Amino acid sequence: MDRITIALAKGRLGEQGLELFENTDMEIMRDEDSRKLVFQDAEERITYIFVKPSDVVTYVEKGVADLGIVGKDVILEENKDVYELLDLDFGHCRFAIAGFKDQKVYRKNEVLRIASKYPRYVEQTFKDRGQRIEIIKLGGSVELAPLMGLSDVIVDIVETGSTLRDNGLVILEELDPISARLIVNKVSYRFKYAAIQKIQKILGGI
Amino acid sequence: MQFSTITEELQVTKFRKGIERELESYFESRGFDLIQPKIFQGYDSFVCSNLRQDSSKTVKVLGGDSRIFILRPDITTNILDQIFSKWEGRPPLKVYYNSKVYRNQTGGRILENYQMGVESLGEDSLKGDQEIIEMAVTLMHTLKEPFIIELGSSKYLDGFFKELGLAFEEESLVRELIGKKNRDGLRLKIKALGLEESILSDVLAMQGNMENVLTMARAYERNEEMAAALEELEGLKDFFSSKALLDHIHFDLAMMPDLDYYDGIIFKGYALNTPKKILSGGRYDRLTEGFGRKVSAIGFMMDMDLVTRIRIRGEA
Repeated sequence: MDRITIALAKGRLGEQGLELFENTDMEIMRDEDSRKLVFQDAEERITYIFVKPSDVVTYVEKGVADLGIVGKDVILEENKDVYELLDLDFGHCRFAIAGFKDQKVYRKNEVLRIASKYPRYVEQTFKDRGQRIEIIKLGGSVELAPLMGLSDVIVDIVETGSTLRDNGLVILEELDPISARLIVNKVSYRFKYAAIQKIQKILGGI
Repeated sequence: MQFSTITEELQVTKFRKGIERELESYFESRGFDLIQPKIFQGYDSFVCSNLRQDSSKTVKVLGGDSRIFILRPDITTNILDQIFSKWEGRPPLKVYYNSKVYRNQTGGRILENYQMGVESLGEDSLKGDQEIIEMAVTLMHTLKEPFIIELGSSKYLDGFFKELGLAFEEESLVRELIGKKNRDGLRLKIKALGLEESILSDVLAMQGNMENVLTMARAYERNEEMAAALEELEGLKDFFSSKALLDHIHFDLAMMPDLDYYDGIIFKGYALNTPKKILSGGRYDRLTEGFGRKVSAIGFMMDMDLVTRIRIRGEA
Protein backbone atom coordinates (compact mmCIF):
# COMPACT_ATOMS: atom_id res chain seq x y z
CA MET A 1 0.00 0.00 0.00
CA ASP A 2 1.14 3.58 -0.64
CA ARG A 3 2.35 5.70 2.22
CA ILE A 4 -0.49 7.83 3.50
CA THR A 5 -0.58 10.90 5.73
CA ILE A 6 -3.80 11.81 7.50
CA ALA A 7 -4.34 15.18 9.17
CA LEU A 8 -6.68 15.23 12.15
CA ALA A 9 -8.15 18.20 13.97
CA LYS A 10 -6.67 18.51 17.45
CA GLY A 11 -9.31 17.88 20.10
CA ARG A 12 -12.41 15.75 20.33
CA LEU A 13 -13.14 15.56 16.62
CA GLY A 14 -9.65 14.25 15.82
CA GLU A 15 -9.72 11.73 18.66
CA GLN A 16 -13.06 10.42 17.44
CA GLY A 17 -11.60 10.23 13.94
CA LEU A 18 -8.66 8.19 15.15
CA GLU A 19 -11.01 5.80 16.95
CA LEU A 20 -12.50 4.83 13.60
CA PHE A 21 -9.19 3.21 12.68
CA GLU A 22 -9.08 1.05 15.80
CA ASN A 23 -9.06 -2.68 15.14
CA THR A 24 -8.00 -2.16 11.54
CA ASP A 25 -4.50 -2.58 10.14
CA MET A 26 -4.19 1.20 10.26
CA GLU A 27 -4.39 1.36 14.03
CA ILE A 28 -1.53 3.03 15.90
CA MET A 29 -0.23 2.71 19.46
CA ARG A 30 0.45 5.90 21.37
CA ASP A 31 0.87 7.05 24.94
CA GLU A 32 -2.25 8.75 26.17
CA ASP A 33 -0.53 11.77 27.71
CA SER A 34 2.03 12.27 24.95
CA ARG A 35 2.36 15.76 23.51
CA LYS A 36 3.64 14.46 20.21
CA LEU A 37 1.81 15.70 17.14
CA VAL A 38 3.01 13.03 14.70
CA PHE A 39 2.27 9.31 15.04
CA GLN A 40 3.20 6.44 12.76
CA ASP A 41 2.31 2.78 12.60
CA ALA A 42 5.07 0.18 13.12
CA GLU A 43 5.77 -0.14 9.38
CA GLU A 44 5.71 3.64 8.89
CA ARG A 45 3.16 3.28 6.12
CA ILE A 46 0.65 5.55 7.73
CA THR A 47 1.25 8.85 9.49
CA TYR A 48 -1.28 10.73 11.57
CA ILE A 49 -0.66 14.39 12.28
CA PHE A 50 -2.61 16.52 14.72
CA VAL A 51 -3.07 20.14 13.71
CA LYS A 52 -5.38 23.06 14.44
CA PRO A 53 -8.83 22.37 12.92
CA SER A 54 -8.63 25.26 10.46
CA ASP A 55 -5.19 24.03 9.32
CA VAL A 56 -6.40 20.54 8.40
CA VAL A 57 -7.85 21.87 5.14
CA THR A 58 -4.64 23.76 4.35
CA TYR A 59 -2.43 20.71 4.96
CA VAL A 60 -4.61 18.66 2.64
CA GLU A 61 -4.89 21.29 -0.08
CA LYS A 62 -1.10 21.70 -0.14
CA GLY A 63 -0.65 17.94 -0.29
CA VAL A 64 1.41 17.69 2.92
CA ALA A 65 -1.36 15.40 4.12
CA ASP A 66 -3.21 13.17 1.64
CA LEU A 67 -6.37 13.02 3.69
CA GLY A 68 -7.95 14.95 6.51
CA ILE A 69 -10.75 14.55 9.02
CA VAL A 70 -12.34 17.87 9.86
CA GLY A 71 -15.68 19.52 10.59
CA LYS A 72 -17.86 20.84 7.77
CA ASP A 73 -17.77 24.25 9.52
CA VAL A 74 -14.05 24.53 8.77
CA ILE A 75 -14.54 23.35 5.18
CA LEU A 76 -17.23 25.99 4.60
CA GLU A 77 -15.10 28.73 6.14
CA GLU A 78 -11.84 27.85 4.37
CA ASN A 79 -13.41 27.03 0.99
CA LYS A 80 -10.32 25.27 -0.35
CA ASP A 81 -9.81 23.21 -3.46
CA VAL A 82 -10.11 19.64 -2.08
CA TYR A 83 -12.43 16.68 -2.58
CA GLU A 84 -14.95 16.05 0.17
CA LEU A 85 -15.37 12.29 0.00
CA LEU A 86 -17.40 11.22 3.01
CA ASP A 87 -19.77 12.43 5.66
CA LEU A 88 -18.42 10.56 8.71
CA ASP A 89 -21.65 10.96 10.63
CA PHE A 90 -20.20 12.13 13.94
CA GLY A 91 -19.51 15.53 15.46
CA HIS A 92 -23.03 16.64 14.57
CA CYS A 93 -24.01 20.25 15.22
CA ARG A 94 -25.13 23.17 13.07
CA PHE A 95 -24.40 26.73 12.14
CA ALA A 96 -26.95 29.13 13.57
CA ILE A 97 -27.64 32.81 13.95
CA ALA A 98 -28.21 33.53 17.63
CA GLY A 99 -29.07 36.61 19.65
CA PHE A 100 -31.51 37.94 22.23
CA LYS A 101 -35.11 36.74 21.99
CA ASP A 102 -37.20 38.90 19.61
CA GLN A 103 -34.06 40.22 18.00
CA LYS A 104 -34.67 40.62 14.25
CA VAL A 105 -32.26 39.19 11.68
CA TYR A 106 -33.67 41.54 9.03
CA ARG A 107 -33.57 45.24 9.71
CA LYS A 108 -34.34 47.37 6.71
CA ASN A 109 -31.80 50.11 6.46
CA GLU A 110 -29.77 49.53 9.57
CA VAL A 111 -26.50 47.65 9.52
CA LEU A 112 -26.68 44.28 11.30
CA ARG A 113 -23.55 43.68 13.36
CA ILE A 114 -22.55 40.01 13.43
CA ALA A 115 -19.81 38.56 15.64
CA SER A 116 -18.33 35.25 14.50
CA LYS A 117 -15.27 33.03 14.32
CA TYR A 118 -16.33 32.35 10.72
CA PRO A 119 -16.22 35.69 8.84
CA ARG A 120 -16.08 34.20 5.33
CA TYR A 121 -18.98 31.90 6.02
CA VAL A 122 -21.03 34.83 7.36
CA GLU A 123 -20.26 36.88 4.28
CA GLN A 124 -21.28 34.01 2.01
CA THR A 125 -24.49 33.36 3.95
CA PHE A 126 -25.63 36.97 3.86
CA LYS A 127 -24.49 37.63 0.29
CA ASP A 128 -27.90 37.43 -1.36
CA ARG A 129 -30.07 38.58 1.54
CA GLY A 130 -30.16 42.28 0.87
CA GLN A 131 -29.26 43.07 4.46
CA ARG A 132 -26.25 45.31 5.09
CA ILE A 133 -23.94 43.69 7.64
CA GLU A 134 -20.79 44.39 9.58
CA ILE A 135 -18.74 41.31 10.48
CA ILE A 136 -16.80 41.34 13.74
CA LYS A 137 -14.20 38.58 13.74
CA LEU A 138 -13.60 37.02 17.15
CA GLY A 139 -11.32 34.19 18.27
CA GLY A 140 -13.65 32.59 20.81
CA SER A 141 -16.39 33.13 23.43
CA VAL A 142 -18.53 34.64 20.73
CA GLU A 143 -21.61 34.53 23.00
CA LEU A 144 -20.15 37.41 24.92
CA ALA A 145 -20.40 39.83 22.02
CA PRO A 146 -24.16 40.60 22.17
CA LEU A 147 -24.03 40.74 25.99
CA MET A 148 -21.35 43.40 25.89
CA GLY A 149 -23.01 45.29 23.06
CA LEU A 150 -20.24 44.47 20.61
CA SER A 151 -22.66 42.96 18.10
CA ASP A 152 -26.40 42.49 17.48
CA VAL A 153 -26.22 38.77 16.73
CA ILE A 154 -23.66 36.00 16.42
CA VAL A 155 -23.10 33.22 13.89
CA ASP A 156 -21.58 30.15 15.48
CA ILE A 157 -21.83 26.38 15.65
CA VAL A 158 -24.42 25.11 18.10
CA GLU A 159 -24.52 21.57 19.46
CA THR A 160 -26.97 21.45 22.38
CA GLY A 161 -27.55 25.17 22.76
CA SER A 162 -26.68 25.13 26.46
CA THR A 163 -23.91 27.72 26.16
CA LEU A 164 -26.37 30.02 24.41
CA ARG A 165 -29.03 29.48 27.07
CA ASP A 166 -26.55 30.10 29.90
CA ASN A 167 -25.81 33.46 28.33
CA GLY A 168 -29.45 34.37 27.72
CA LEU A 169 -29.28 33.90 23.95
CA VAL A 170 -31.58 31.94 21.64
CA ILE A 171 -31.29 30.53 18.13
CA LEU A 172 -32.85 33.00 15.70
CA GLU A 173 -32.25 31.00 12.54
CA GLU A 174 -30.73 27.63 11.78
CA LEU A 175 -28.14 27.49 9.00
CA ASP A 176 -26.09 24.63 7.51
CA PRO A 177 -25.84 21.29 9.37
CA ILE A 178 -22.31 20.29 10.37
CA SER A 179 -20.59 16.94 10.84
CA ALA A 180 -17.09 15.50 10.47
CA ARG A 181 -15.98 14.95 6.86
CA LEU A 182 -13.21 13.05 5.10
CA ILE A 183 -11.38 15.35 2.69
CA VAL A 184 -8.66 14.42 0.24
CA ASN A 185 -6.04 16.17 -1.86
CA LYS A 186 -6.90 16.08 -5.56
CA VAL A 187 -3.54 14.73 -6.67
CA SER A 188 -3.34 12.11 -3.89
CA TYR A 189 -6.79 10.99 -4.96
CA ARG A 190 -5.36 10.02 -8.34
CA PHE A 191 -2.00 8.56 -7.31
CA LYS A 192 -3.13 6.75 -4.15
CA TYR A 193 -6.57 5.78 -5.35
CA ALA A 194 -6.43 2.17 -4.05
CA ALA A 195 -5.32 3.21 -0.57
CA ILE A 196 -7.91 5.95 -0.39
CA GLN A 197 -10.66 3.57 -1.44
CA LYS A 198 -9.58 1.23 1.33
CA ILE A 199 -9.75 4.02 3.89
CA GLN A 200 -13.13 5.06 2.54
CA LYS A 201 -14.34 1.51 3.19
CA ILE A 202 -12.92 1.46 6.73
CA LEU A 203 -14.67 4.74 7.48
CA GLY A 204 -18.03 3.33 6.56
CA GLY A 205 -18.27 4.23 2.92
CA ILE A 206 -19.50 2.21 -0.04
CA MET B 1 8.26 32.28 -7.26
CA GLN B 2 9.98 34.11 -4.43
CA PHE B 3 13.76 34.37 -4.21
CA SER B 4 16.05 35.44 -1.42
CA THR B 5 19.03 36.39 -3.57
CA ILE B 6 19.37 37.81 -7.06
CA THR B 7 21.88 35.07 -7.98
CA GLU B 8 19.28 32.42 -7.22
CA GLU B 9 16.67 34.31 -9.19
CA LEU B 10 18.91 34.61 -12.25
CA GLN B 11 19.79 30.95 -12.08
CA VAL B 12 16.16 29.86 -11.95
CA THR B 13 15.25 32.25 -14.75
CA LYS B 14 18.04 30.82 -16.89
CA PHE B 15 16.89 27.30 -16.15
CA ARG B 16 13.28 28.13 -16.97
CA LYS B 17 14.34 29.84 -20.21
CA GLY B 18 16.10 26.60 -21.19
CA ILE B 19 12.89 24.63 -20.68
CA GLU B 20 10.92 27.26 -22.60
CA ARG B 21 13.29 26.97 -25.58
CA GLU B 22 12.93 23.20 -25.49
CA LEU B 23 9.13 23.43 -25.50
CA GLU B 24 9.10 26.15 -28.16
CA SER B 25 11.09 23.99 -30.57
CA TYR B 26 8.86 21.01 -29.77
CA PHE B 27 5.72 23.05 -30.57
CA GLU B 28 7.30 24.39 -33.76
CA SER B 29 8.31 20.89 -34.84
CA ARG B 30 4.63 19.93 -34.54
CA GLY B 31 3.60 22.80 -36.81
CA PHE B 32 2.49 25.35 -34.19
CA ASP B 33 3.34 29.06 -34.54
CA LEU B 34 4.01 31.51 -31.74
CA ILE B 35 1.25 33.98 -30.87
CA GLN B 36 1.70 36.86 -28.43
CA PRO B 37 -1.46 37.66 -26.48
CA LYS B 38 -2.46 41.18 -25.49
CA ILE B 39 -2.07 42.04 -21.84
CA PHE B 40 -5.46 43.80 -21.45
CA GLN B 41 -8.89 42.44 -22.28
CA GLY B 42 -12.46 43.67 -21.83
CA TYR B 43 -14.01 42.90 -18.46
CA ASP B 44 -17.57 42.49 -19.77
CA SER B 45 -16.78 39.89 -22.39
CA PHE B 46 -14.81 37.87 -19.85
CA VAL B 47 -17.70 37.83 -17.38
CA CYS B 48 -20.17 36.88 -20.12
CA SER B 49 -18.26 33.80 -21.20
CA ASN B 50 -17.44 32.69 -17.65
CA LEU B 51 -20.71 32.83 -15.69
CA ARG B 52 -19.66 30.43 -12.96
CA GLN B 53 -16.22 31.95 -12.42
CA ASP B 54 -15.27 34.21 -9.57
CA SER B 55 -14.59 37.47 -11.40
CA SER B 56 -13.26 39.08 -8.21
CA LYS B 57 -9.97 37.25 -8.80
CA THR B 58 -9.30 39.20 -11.98
CA VAL B 59 -7.03 42.26 -11.84
CA LYS B 60 -8.98 45.29 -13.08
CA VAL B 61 -7.59 48.31 -14.84
CA LEU B 62 -9.50 51.47 -15.69
CA GLY B 63 -9.10 52.64 -19.28
CA GLY B 64 -8.89 56.29 -20.40
CA ASP B 65 -12.62 56.46 -21.12
CA SER B 66 -13.45 54.75 -17.78
CA ARG B 67 -14.06 51.39 -19.41
CA ILE B 68 -12.98 48.43 -17.28
CA PHE B 69 -10.25 46.14 -18.52
CA ILE B 70 -8.65 43.15 -16.85
CA LEU B 71 -5.11 41.86 -17.03
CA ARG B 72 -5.44 38.56 -18.89
CA PRO B 73 -6.48 35.89 -16.35
CA ASP B 74 -6.23 33.14 -18.94
CA ILE B 75 -4.79 33.15 -22.39
CA THR B 76 -7.29 31.24 -24.50
CA THR B 77 -10.13 33.80 -24.53
CA ASN B 78 -7.56 36.50 -24.99
CA ILE B 79 -5.97 35.13 -28.16
CA LEU B 80 -9.30 34.09 -29.67
CA ASP B 81 -10.25 37.74 -29.75
CA GLN B 82 -6.99 38.48 -31.51
CA ILE B 83 -7.36 35.61 -33.99
CA PHE B 84 -11.03 35.90 -34.94
CA SER B 85 -10.82 39.57 -35.87
CA LYS B 86 -8.51 38.62 -38.75
CA TRP B 87 -9.11 34.95 -39.53
CA GLU B 88 -11.40 33.42 -42.15
CA GLY B 89 -11.78 30.09 -40.35
CA ARG B 90 -9.61 28.25 -42.86
CA PRO B 91 -7.12 26.65 -43.19
CA PRO B 92 -6.69 25.14 -39.69
CA LEU B 93 -4.69 27.36 -37.38
CA LYS B 94 -2.24 26.04 -34.82
CA VAL B 95 -0.64 28.41 -32.35
CA TYR B 96 1.37 28.22 -29.16
CA TYR B 97 1.98 30.89 -26.52
CA ASN B 98 4.53 31.61 -23.83
CA SER B 99 3.13 34.33 -21.58
CA LYS B 100 2.05 35.32 -18.09
CA VAL B 101 -1.42 35.45 -16.54
CA TYR B 102 -2.47 37.64 -13.61
CA ARG B 103 -4.79 36.99 -10.67
CA ASN B 104 -5.62 38.69 -7.39
CA GLN B 105 -4.33 36.96 -4.31
CA THR B 106 -5.20 37.47 -0.68
CA GLY B 107 -3.65 40.48 0.97
CA GLY B 108 -3.94 42.61 -2.16
CA ARG B 109 -1.04 40.94 -3.93
CA ILE B 110 -1.15 40.06 -7.62
CA LEU B 111 -0.04 36.63 -8.70
CA GLU B 112 1.96 36.42 -11.92
CA ASN B 113 2.06 32.95 -13.40
CA TYR B 114 4.09 31.82 -16.42
CA GLN B 115 2.14 29.63 -18.80
CA MET B 116 2.87 27.92 -22.08
CA GLY B 117 0.24 26.20 -24.15
CA VAL B 118 -1.25 25.41 -27.52
CA GLU B 119 -4.53 26.02 -29.34
CA SER B 120 -5.62 24.11 -32.41
CA LEU B 121 -8.46 25.74 -34.38
CA GLY B 122 -10.46 24.53 -37.36
CA GLU B 123 -8.95 21.05 -37.37
CA ASP B 124 -11.10 17.93 -37.67
CA SER B 125 -12.44 17.27 -34.14
CA LEU B 126 -11.19 13.75 -33.57
CA LYS B 127 -7.80 14.47 -35.15
CA GLY B 128 -7.52 17.59 -32.99
CA ASP B 129 -8.36 15.73 -29.77
CA GLN B 130 -5.85 13.01 -30.58
CA GLU B 131 -3.04 15.36 -31.50
CA ILE B 132 -3.48 17.60 -28.47
CA ILE B 133 -3.67 14.76 -25.93
CA GLU B 134 -0.69 13.05 -27.46
CA MET B 135 1.26 16.30 -27.11
CA ALA B 136 0.11 16.68 -23.51
CA VAL B 137 1.39 13.19 -22.71
CA THR B 138 4.71 13.91 -24.44
CA LEU B 139 5.16 17.07 -22.36
CA MET B 140 4.31 15.30 -19.10
CA HIS B 141 7.03 12.76 -19.94
CA THR B 142 9.65 15.53 -19.95
CA LEU B 143 9.04 16.03 -16.21
CA LYS B 144 10.67 12.63 -15.56
CA GLU B 145 8.21 11.93 -12.74
CA PRO B 146 5.33 9.44 -12.69
CA PHE B 147 2.27 11.26 -14.05
CA ILE B 148 -1.44 10.84 -14.64
CA ILE B 149 -3.65 12.55 -17.18
CA GLU B 150 -7.17 12.86 -15.83
CA LEU B 151 -9.59 12.82 -18.76
CA GLY B 152 -13.31 13.49 -18.92
CA SER B 153 -15.93 15.13 -21.09
CA SER B 154 -17.97 18.15 -20.09
CA LYS B 155 -20.30 17.60 -23.05
CA TYR B 156 -21.74 14.39 -21.60
CA LEU B 157 -23.01 15.93 -18.35
CA ASP B 158 -23.94 19.16 -20.14
CA GLY B 159 -26.25 17.05 -22.28
CA PHE B 160 -27.75 15.52 -19.18
CA PHE B 161 -28.30 18.86 -17.46
CA LYS B 162 -29.87 20.29 -20.61
CA GLU B 163 -32.38 17.42 -20.62
CA LEU B 164 -33.08 18.00 -16.94
CA GLY B 165 -33.66 21.75 -17.15
CA LEU B 166 -32.88 22.67 -13.53
CA ALA B 167 -32.79 26.30 -12.45
CA PHE B 168 -29.33 27.86 -12.77
CA GLU B 169 -28.66 27.94 -9.00
CA GLU B 170 -29.83 24.35 -8.48
CA GLU B 171 -27.69 23.14 -11.35
CA SER B 172 -24.66 25.00 -9.97
CA LEU B 173 -25.17 23.33 -6.58
CA VAL B 174 -25.39 19.86 -8.11
CA ARG B 175 -22.32 20.56 -10.26
CA GLU B 176 -20.39 21.71 -7.23
CA LEU B 177 -21.25 18.52 -5.31
CA ILE B 178 -20.12 16.39 -8.24
CA GLY B 179 -16.95 18.45 -8.61
CA LYS B 180 -16.14 17.93 -4.91
CA LYS B 181 -16.88 14.19 -5.21
CA ASN B 182 -19.22 14.75 -2.28
CA ARG B 183 -21.14 11.48 -2.39
CA ASP B 184 -23.23 12.01 0.72
CA GLY B 185 -24.13 15.59 -0.12
CA LEU B 186 -25.07 14.58 -3.64
CA ARG B 187 -27.23 11.75 -2.35
CA LEU B 188 -29.22 14.16 -0.16
CA LYS B 189 -29.55 16.64 -3.00
CA ILE B 190 -30.82 14.14 -5.57
CA LYS B 191 -33.29 12.80 -3.06
CA ALA B 192 -34.61 16.31 -2.52
CA LEU B 193 -34.89 16.77 -6.29
CA GLY B 194 -36.44 13.31 -6.80
CA LEU B 195 -33.71 12.24 -9.21
CA GLU B 196 -32.70 8.92 -7.66
CA GLU B 197 -33.22 7.08 -10.94
CA SER B 198 -30.96 9.37 -12.93
CA ILE B 199 -27.28 9.25 -13.81
CA LEU B 200 -26.59 11.34 -10.71
CA SER B 201 -26.77 8.21 -8.53
CA ASP B 202 -23.92 6.62 -10.48
CA VAL B 203 -21.92 9.56 -11.74
CA LEU B 204 -19.21 9.45 -9.07
CA ALA B 205 -18.50 5.81 -9.90
CA MET B 206 -17.98 6.63 -13.57
CA GLN B 207 -14.20 6.58 -13.46
CA GLY B 208 -11.33 4.21 -14.05
CA ASN B 209 -11.18 1.85 -17.00
CA MET B 210 -12.38 3.74 -20.09
CA GLU B 211 -14.10 0.74 -21.64
CA ASN B 212 -16.17 -0.03 -18.52
CA VAL B 213 -17.09 3.59 -17.87
CA LEU B 214 -18.24 4.10 -21.45
CA THR B 215 -20.46 1.02 -21.20
CA MET B 216 -21.95 2.38 -17.99
CA ALA B 217 -22.42 5.83 -19.53
CA ARG B 218 -24.21 4.49 -22.59
CA ALA B 219 -27.02 3.21 -20.38
CA TYR B 220 -27.84 6.80 -19.41
CA GLU B 221 -27.64 8.30 -22.87
CA ARG B 222 -30.72 10.46 -23.41
CA ASN B 223 -30.04 12.92 -26.21
CA GLU B 224 -27.83 13.70 -29.18
CA GLU B 225 -25.37 15.72 -27.14
CA MET B 226 -24.70 12.86 -24.77
CA ALA B 227 -24.44 10.41 -27.68
CA ALA B 228 -21.99 12.68 -29.49
CA ALA B 229 -19.86 12.98 -26.35
CA LEU B 230 -19.64 9.21 -26.01
CA GLU B 231 -18.86 8.76 -29.68
CA GLU B 232 -15.95 11.19 -29.38
CA LEU B 233 -14.61 9.31 -26.38
CA GLU B 234 -14.99 5.98 -28.17
CA GLY B 235 -12.81 7.29 -31.00
CA LEU B 236 -10.22 8.46 -28.52
CA LYS B 237 -10.18 5.18 -26.65
CA ASP B 238 -9.10 3.27 -29.77
CA PHE B 239 -6.43 5.86 -30.47
CA PHE B 240 -5.07 5.68 -26.91
CA SER B 241 -4.78 1.91 -26.97
CA SER B 242 -3.08 1.94 -30.38
CA LYS B 243 -0.54 4.47 -29.08
CA ALA B 244 -0.15 2.72 -25.70
CA LEU B 245 -1.23 5.86 -23.87
CA LEU B 246 -3.90 4.25 -21.70
CA ASP B 247 -1.45 3.58 -18.86
CA HIS B 248 -1.11 7.28 -18.23
CA ILE B 249 -4.78 8.16 -18.61
CA HIS B 250 -7.27 8.02 -15.81
CA PHE B 251 -10.75 8.39 -17.19
CA ASP B 252 -13.36 10.23 -15.09
CA LEU B 253 -16.75 11.26 -16.46
CA ALA B 254 -17.57 13.14 -13.23
CA MET B 255 -14.82 15.70 -13.89
CA MET B 256 -16.15 19.23 -13.73
CA PRO B 257 -14.49 21.78 -16.02
CA ASP B 258 -12.60 24.65 -14.34
CA LEU B 259 -13.84 27.02 -17.01
CA ASP B 260 -17.41 27.21 -18.30
CA TYR B 261 -16.49 27.36 -21.94
CA TYR B 262 -15.36 23.76 -22.34
CA ASP B 263 -17.79 21.62 -24.33
CA GLY B 264 -16.06 18.36 -25.14
CA ILE B 265 -13.13 16.48 -23.70
CA ILE B 266 -11.40 18.05 -20.70
CA PHE B 267 -8.14 16.92 -19.11
CA LYS B 268 -5.60 17.70 -16.40
CA GLY B 269 -2.05 16.52 -15.84
CA TYR B 270 -0.73 15.65 -12.39
CA ALA B 271 2.75 14.47 -11.36
CA LEU B 272 3.68 12.51 -8.28
CA ASN B 273 4.68 14.71 -5.31
CA THR B 274 3.32 17.91 -6.82
CA PRO B 275 0.02 18.75 -5.14
CA LYS B 276 -1.40 20.88 -7.95
CA LYS B 277 -2.41 20.40 -11.58
CA ILE B 278 0.46 21.07 -13.93
CA LEU B 279 -1.40 20.93 -17.21
CA SER B 280 -5.03 21.50 -18.09
CA GLY B 281 -7.10 21.89 -21.19
CA GLY B 282 -10.05 20.84 -23.26
CA ARG B 283 -12.30 21.42 -26.22
CA TYR B 284 -14.15 24.73 -26.49
CA ASP B 285 -15.96 24.92 -29.85
CA ARG B 286 -18.88 26.73 -28.22
CA LEU B 287 -16.68 29.59 -27.08
CA THR B 288 -15.60 30.36 -30.65
CA GLU B 289 -19.23 30.98 -31.60
CA GLY B 290 -19.18 34.14 -29.50
CA PHE B 291 -16.33 35.44 -31.65
CA GLY B 292 -18.47 35.23 -34.79
CA ARG B 293 -17.70 31.79 -36.21
CA LYS B 294 -18.07 28.35 -34.68
CA VAL B 295 -15.06 26.20 -35.43
CA SER B 296 -13.50 23.13 -33.88
CA ALA B 297 -11.18 24.31 -31.07
CA ILE B 298 -9.02 22.58 -28.49
CA GLY B 299 -5.96 23.45 -26.46
CA PHE B 300 -4.13 23.18 -23.17
CA MET B 301 -1.82 25.18 -20.95
CA MET B 302 1.09 24.21 -18.73
CA ASP B 303 2.00 25.97 -15.51
CA MET B 304 5.64 26.86 -16.17
CA ASP B 305 6.37 27.83 -12.56
CA LEU B 306 5.48 24.30 -11.48
CA VAL B 307 7.27 22.71 -14.43
CA THR B 308 10.42 24.66 -13.57
CA ARG B 309 10.22 23.67 -9.92
CA ILE B 310 9.78 19.98 -10.77
CA ARG B 311 12.63 19.98 -13.28
CA ILE B 312 14.96 21.73 -10.80
CA ARG B 313 14.03 19.12 -8.20
CA GLY B 314 14.89 16.40 -10.75
CA GLU B 315 18.34 17.93 -11.41
CA ALA B 316 19.30 18.00 -7.74
